Amino acid sequence: MEKELLFKTNNIGKIYGTNTVLEGINVEFHRGEIVGLIGENGAGKSTLMKIIAGVENASMGTMEMHGKPFKASSMLDANKHGIGMVFQEQSLISNLSAAQNIFLGREKDFSTLGMVNWAKMNAAARAALDKLGLSHISPSQKISDMPFAMRQMVEITKVLDIVSETANDKALILLDEPTTVLTDEEMKILFEQVRMMKEKGNCIIFISHRLQEVLDLTDRIYVFKDGHLTGEVETKDADEYKLYEMMVGRETNGEYYVSQRQTVPTDDVVLEVENLAMFGSFKDVSFKLHKGEVLGLYGVEGSGKEDVCAVISGDEAKTEGVIRVNGKEVKFGSPSDARKHGILSVPRDRRDEGIIGILPINENISVSNYGKNATAGLISNKKQIENAKGWIKDLGIKCEGPNQRISNLSGGNAQKVIFARVLDSECPILILDHPTRGVDIGAKGDIYSLIRDITEKGFSVLLMGDTLDECLGLASRIIVMKDGLVTAEFDCPADNKPDQVEVVQKML
Amino acid sequence: MEKTKPSFKSLFIQNIYILSAVLVIVVFYFINPSFLSLYSIQNMTTELAPLLPMACGIAFVLYAGSIDLSIGAVASAVCVITGLNVGEKGNIMILYMLLFGVMIGLINGLLVSKGKLPSFIVTLCAQSIYRAIAIILSNPHGGGSKNIPLKQRVVVNWATNKVLGLPILFWIAVLILIICIIIERKTAIGKSIFAIGANEKAARMAGVNVTLMKICAFILCSVGAAIGGVMYTYKLKSSVPTIGDNLYMMAISSVALGGTLFSGGKGSALRTLIGVLTVTAISSGMNMAGVNPLWKNVVYGIVLIAAVAINSEKGGRDLIIK
Repeated sequence: MEKELLFKTNNIGKIYGTNTVLEGINVEFHRGEIVGLIGENGAGKSTLMKIIAGVENASMGTMEMHGKPFKASSMLDANKHGIGMVFQEQSLISNLSAAQNIFLGREKDFSTLGMVNWAKMNAAARAALDKLGLSHISPSQKISDMPFAMRQMVEITKVLDIVSETANDKALILLDEPTTVLTDEEMKILFEQVRMMKEKGNCIIFISHRLQEVLDLTDRIYVFKDGHLTGEVETKDADEYKLYEMMVGRETNGEYYVSQRQTVPTDDVVLEVENLAMFGSFKDVSFKLHKGEVLGLYGVEGSGKEDVCAVISGDEAKTEGVIRVNGKEVKFGSPSDARKHGILSVPRDRRDEGIIGILPINENISVSNYGKNATAGLISNKKQIENAKGWIKDLGIKCEGPNQRISNLSGGNAQKVIFARVLDSECPILILDHPTRGVDIGAKGDIYSLIRDITEKGFSVLLMGDTLDECLGLASRIIVMKDGLVTAEFDCPADNKPDQVEVVQKML
Repeated sequence: MEKTKPSFKSLFIQNIYILSAVLVIVVFYFINPSFLSLYSIQNMTTELAPLLPMACGIAFVLYAGSIDLSIGAVASAVCVITGLNVGEKGNIMILYMLLFGVMIGLINGLLVSKGKLPSFIVTLCAQSIYRAIAIILSNPHGGGSKNIPLKQRVVVNWATNKVLGLPILFWIAVLILIICIIIERKTAIGKSIFAIGANEKAARMAGVNVTLMKICAFILCSVGAAIGGVMYTYKLKSSVPTIGDNLYMMAISSVALGGTLFSGGKGSALRTLIGVLTVTAISSGMNMAGVNPLWKNVVYGIVLIAAVAINSEKGGRDLIIK
């Protein structure tokens, strides 16, 4: 059955300055199909999406929609043509309600003489949310009061509503990593909804780093690498292994988490927490972290694991309990206190809490330990830059040099700079809070090897994995949390990882 | 990876501070060629001396992404206190005034960093307080400016003596400039202040002691203002309770003309020097061109807005207006 062609691109390309980030892209999207786009970060997927959605202009090439030339001057323009995009980074306004966000810019539909009829807007929002099975979200609830996953669903509702209003089931909907913050349950609802829209004749483009999701959901997959389209495959002919190969162009084997180099924990306890509690979040958390160990901390969002990390890294204050470093009790008022006791974290939110955007790479690396390159209190900038060059080489950071602004790096490379920072600090206890979030597969592999390197050197790691698979793969022991309490502890020796089903049972 | 060349436009904007300084000097030279005479240059260096430490000081607060509106008032208070006492107590007053500056910066810094109050409000109130102090202290002496008695002036005369053709005050200002350059490029305090201004949350998570570093920035700022105040006393040989009324505008304009980002994280003392030169040239040039001094603040106001508008990063998604 040949499907009706909805949208195609002819030799689309994009150049930033002298940097070609996308070249000669020819893709076709048909009605009634779900197309996956995969590739490492910086491969050009998001750029292509932004060009199609009218956020950016193409430097070369043309596009066609319904067989006619198409060019969107803005996102609003693209919306009118039936193209909608859900962004990787959320674009909601947090001090407005869900309904206000869904109908942002379209308040006219609900107003008479410039006065908005809120009841009418809330009712319309209710209907839009119900259509997605989101009856638990109240239209009048403020975005800032919602957990991240719920915000994502509101964002998706907003885009779907805008597009379905004009497109009459001939819409092209772009989902750029919509699942990163969703729970499995929410993901299921989203997938159902996406399939339903496909049945009606819309085309959905789905970007994700989680290949299993792409395999589950899509009909066809385009593979990108370094700004080029390198492959196209029918989903029924693909499996995860094949996709890995197409994406990275190098063989991956089962030893994804480098578990042959997993360290066996020593008996030295470097960090011990006893009956730790933070009012309203978690209580009675006790564990020991040994020298050279990767200790995983896992649970669903809201299980309290985030706050355990925040307390140990000095970001939040504990309300009860004791933290001991090398057997001595310590009290933290801020992350800088924790650093003085040898604890430093790789924060989860890289853009807000990790990178210092307008500063160069070398300053970003040295910020946690200026003293390293100083004599008698005076810092040698030459040494600092040499030091950065060393890290760039050691960690394989792709950049122009130590003086490049960190904000110009891709996610994976920026994360490596943050790793260089925490390693440079010489803190022996590292808290890795979702260290591979938003990082491409190639860099992920590098980070996994790096974690093995540093534990071999005697660093101790408290890890919050991005996925359960990752957490189990990397950790030598894992602590499972649920509703603010520790529910289980599993040993994860390299040759005998626990069954995921068993772990999940303790989480839910 | 290929290097991206900066566009001509961005190069132009990055270096516009030098162009503006040259332009101002050339314009005033054509209006009145004696603008660049030795006498006039000596005059300008004396003018510039108190402004430079003030501008370099407040730059640290701006690097950290905050603002200090109190520097002019602090300079006034310091100028009055020094002027009224230096004749009897001698040059030790300089040390007392530096300590006074540290104290003021400590209070401002604590209120902003520990008290989590907006720096704009804290320093606006500080401005009101120190300006009042300057006037209250002047009241028993007739309320206005008061000259240091002639026979006591010997204590302060050294400051305007010339070394290598330029007044000692100027050389002290240069020394302070060098110290500021060292602080911002070579010390953990300076670098931490930039990191805080660029991304406070990230700097905090990286283990930077944000509270302490912000206090340091405010102390550097108030000490700079105190030095400026002392210098005015030594330069004018009198206590002037209104001396600071224009100064904070001049100092902030200087920093802005040097291309320091008002959202924090970017700038340098050397660039501030160019800004101070420009502002001083405007001030002296207008005097020599015979413009009514009341118009000066109109000019500074326009210059400040223009400089900030040119330098601010409008494209950045991380831009925060504080």
